[in-house]
Amino acid sequence: MTCTLYEEQLSSYLDGELPARRAARLEAHLKTCPHCQAELTALGGIAGRLRAVSSQIEVSHDFDRRVLRAFGYWHVTGWQKPVKSYLKPLVILALFLLAMMGAVWHFFTRPLGPPVPEPRPAVPAVAPAISGMPAPPVQEREER
Amino acid sequence: MEEVVRPGGLSVDGRLATADDATLVAACAERVPGAFQALLSRYRRPAVTLAYQMLGNREDAEDVAQEAFVRVFQAIPRFRGQASFSTWLYRIVTNLCLGSRRRRRATVGLDAVREPRASDSPSRQVTEALLTRQVLAAMAPELRAILLLRDQEGLSYSEIAEALRLPLGTVRSRLSKARTAFRKIWSKLSETGEEQS
Ligand SMILES: [Zn+2]
Repeated sequence: MTCTLYEEQLSSYLDGELPARRAARLEAHLKTCPHCQAELTALGGIAGRLRAVSSQIEVSHDFDRRVLRAFGYWHVTGWQKPVKSYLKPLVILALFLLAMMGAVWHFFTRPLGPPVPEPRPAVPAVAPAISGMPAPPVQEREER
Repeated sequence: MEEVVRPGGLSVDGRLATADDATLVAACAERVPGAFQALLSRYRRPAVTLAYQMLGNREDAEDVAQEAFVRVFQAIPRFRGQASFSTWLYRIVTNLCLGSRRRRRATVGLDAVREPRASDSPSRQVTEALLTRQVLAAMAPELRAILLLRDQEGLSYSEIAEALRLPLGTVRSRLSKARTAFRKIWSKLSETGEEQS
């Protein structure tokens, strides 16, 4: 049967996407072939069946709100979101950094015996270098 | 301003409601109040129904549609209008539905529709809607997607090519394959339905 060849063209023909010459040949075949006619009718009925089902589908009444909320567009009359979306992580990060800085500051300023005096600008070559040892730290010099 | 916003639903500025998609997209990029709602009210239904028919249940469908809208809205400032808004949205919805995790769940969801029929339908009144869903569930997801884009959503071949990133020739042949698959599964399922009664 030559029907296989025509069957492959039915879908495009249905959508008007078949070139004119091939469409004319197909139409001539359709006039003589009840099988292909039935096939064409069946394929053409699919859209109606799908739309009959999809027309029954309902969308939740709060769908828009959920989208806008997920988008961060929480105040529905204006553009708020792009700020809000990354503001939260930023605030958390800032708080975390503050906490870290606080911890570091606390670590270095915690009381450890006698208070550490303010370091003075290094005085060059006050202490003589003994056997290649580096000059003692400022603090030790002060205690002497 | 004509805009009225009530607590229950989101209404849309009158001029925005009649503006074309490109204008609305530009308005979103300019942060015009109400522009996002206007796009939502125009496309919420197509997006959800496409996802529903792909996945077989409303919860997943609305999740996918929501995710698609959020992605699209976030990308709007970078949208250059190389595609139409609708094609862009359809593309994202389709890709999300074809994502492996959801695809697996989808088959389960659509298959679940089949269950009640065998057990509690002594009169064998299989509605056409139910049969349609069963047929969709039995189809390969890629065929289901192209069929829905064309026969449910009414996209043109070139829009489908854009949405699925396929050559026109492939759109033509895959759609033909999809319709034939639908027709064959339909015949098979209606026959087995008749045999059961
Ligand atoms: Zn024939």
